Amino acid sequence: MKPKVAVFDFTCCEGCELQILNCEEELADLLSALDFVEFREAMTEKADYYDIAFIDGACSRKSEMARLKDIRKRARMVIPIGACACMGGVNCLKNYYPMDEVLRSEYGEKAEYYETIPARHVSAVIPVDFFIPGCPIVKKDFIRVVQEILAGRIPYQYNDPVCAECKVAGNVCVFEKGMTCLGPITRGGCEATCITGGAVCWGCRGFIDKPNIIAEKLILEQAGLSVEEISKRFNLFNACKDRI
Amino acid sequence: MEFLKISKAQFQLSVGRMIDENFVYGVKAKSPSYEFDRLFTADELCLNYNITLLSPNKYFLPPRTPLMGFKLDGKISVDSMVGAQPGIIIGIHPYDLHALKLLDAVFLGNLKDAYYQARRQVIAIIGIDCLQPWQYSFAASMGTAFPPAGFDLWLTDTGDKYLIEVGSEKGEELCRKYLDASEAGEIEVKQREKLREESLSRYKLSLDISPQLIPEVLNSGWNSSMWEELGEKCFSCGSCTMVCPTCVCFDVRDTTELNRLSGERYRIWDSCMFDAFATIASGENFRPTGTDRLRHRLYRKGKYMLQRWGRLGCVGCGRCIHACLVDIASPVYAYNRLAREARTG
Ligand code: SF4
Ligand code: SF4
Ligand code: SF4
Ligand code: SF4
Ligand code: SF4
Repeated sequence: MKPKVAVFDFTCCEGCELQILNCEEELADLLSALDFVEFREAMTEKADYYDIAFIDGACSRKSEMARLKDIRKRARMVIPIGACACMGGVNCLKNYYPMDEVLRSEYGEKAEYYETIPARHVSAVIPVDFFIPGCPIVKKDFIRVVQEILAGRIPYQYNDPVCAECKVAGNVCVFEKGMTCLGPITRGGCEATCITGGAVCWGCRGFIDKPNIIAEKLILEQAGLSVEEISKRFNLFNACKDRI
Repeated sequence: MEFLKISKAQFQLSVGRMIDENFVYGVKAKSPSYEFDRLFTADELCLNYNITLLSPNKYFLPPRTPLMGFKLDGKISVDSMVGAQPGIIIGIHPYDLHALKLLDAVFLGNLKDAYYQARRQVIAIIGIDCLQPWQYSFAASMGTAFPPAGFDLWLTDTGDKYLIEVGSEKGEELCRKYLDASEAGEIEVKQREKLREESLSRYKLSLDISPQLIPEVLNSGWNSSMWEELGEKCFSCGSCTMVCPTCVCFDVRDTTELNRLSGERYRIWDSCMFDAFATIASGENFRPTGTDRLRHRLYRKGKYMLQRWGRLGCVGCGRCIHACLVDIASPVYAYNRLAREARTG
């Protein structure tokens, strides 16, 4: 029996779901290995039970909390995908403001018709079984996790900084070029793709379990960043302090 | 020992001929540094480099090495993935060849590692003296500024020419096939001695003690306050080990295709600086802090590898010093400081 799989979207840009649909090369294999029973971006059917529920997006409304709990009840495995679902991601930037102000700035006069709560990641609401971080998720990483689950193994969770993969990729460290980077505290698994591509790491995969925040602040300071710049940098994807 | 000489222009033509018929890897610019990479034209080769980002050990112990493929449909079957693409590496510096000798001791000792051996057998080594070391190198004081035996050809930049020492039959064959070199005499060999001698004064960093004394210094330094002082800054990022030419640790992992019918086992570089490196199945971590891991790494370089494999685990290339963003990875700093602490009590 093929595992029944659902993909749900919460507060997000839905880019991570799109990454699944973008797995062009593997799509045929994915479809023969998995039985997609619910996936709003791709189909209209719905189902009552799921072996794996992938959750895209953060939780930022009371109704979303209820919906998450309902999914949890009906799913054997719940796996958040993407920065929003795994860490709250960019959504948590709003948590620095009062919620009524947030509503007013977004919906203006119509604000009274909406409700919102400080954004949070999925595991702040329900227990999760694994997580696939990234903004957006890396296709290869998604396929890998599915392969592992299908083979009956607990997928390997990267928990080492991006720097290691950055070295293996043969990059010149951006600090040498006068730029700054969150690689030393950010969860690897992306093969340091941004640095290889000429940019820096913004921490989209979240921090590792034991990030050395003090040391990172030190090197950013030494590189000339102000306290505000440092906190902006830290908060872009990781403003929710209680990460998974 | 056979010595030859060749003009630089002639050498470039020779490299071109090698590229026509072989997989040739050499040092290329990657501003502001250099890297070993596949050469497609001879003019990409940069032999007056100071250091490469990664060491050439990546050709013998690749960051990711497939070990075997397996099939699970019906009868379970396994395909070994031992094998190697013959090639030539041009531009290995002396310290990196010393490091390769350590890898030989590890992978070609009692237990032969077939994957490493296959690569080692078919990849030729053309090295070159490092006459302009970078500011992080302390190879001179580690005794690794000049090449050990084990190269096929060895170059010395003598200005408009290279002096070539032939180190093996494979080297001779390379000369015959590709190099229009002429015999060198005593003058050139003397010149090499002089150039090498002069290069020693260009090292900015040096170990204050004889390298043989490092284990002793470590024996007395286990409880030094230095470890904590440095270790608390550590990211556990593994940069210092990824760039190190003597690091040999790997993890073994499996992948299975989505159809569950076939898969692959591979090995991938690991690092003792990673938080989970010494974590076992029960969840216990034998080296739970950055301090424990930093100390372990420097003991490994300065003592454990010597005990186990007969060679020091540090060749003084200085890559880790440069790679570490919080300036705590330096073996020469640590050993000198422990030596000082041992003297002053
Ligand atoms: S993690 Fe990034 S790509 Fe994925 S849904 Fe959120 S904002 Fe979009
Ligand atoms: S560029 Fe960023 S990820 Fe790469 S080594 Fe430097 S700090 Fe680490
Ligand atoms: S390098 Fe950093 S920002 Fe880029 S994908 Fe990896 S974790 Fe995300
Ligand atoms: S420990 Fe550092 S200096 Fe020594 S060989 Fe490794 S990278 Fe080079
Ligand atoms: S010593 Fe430096 S390079 Fe090595 S793991 Fe620690 S922070 Fe990273």
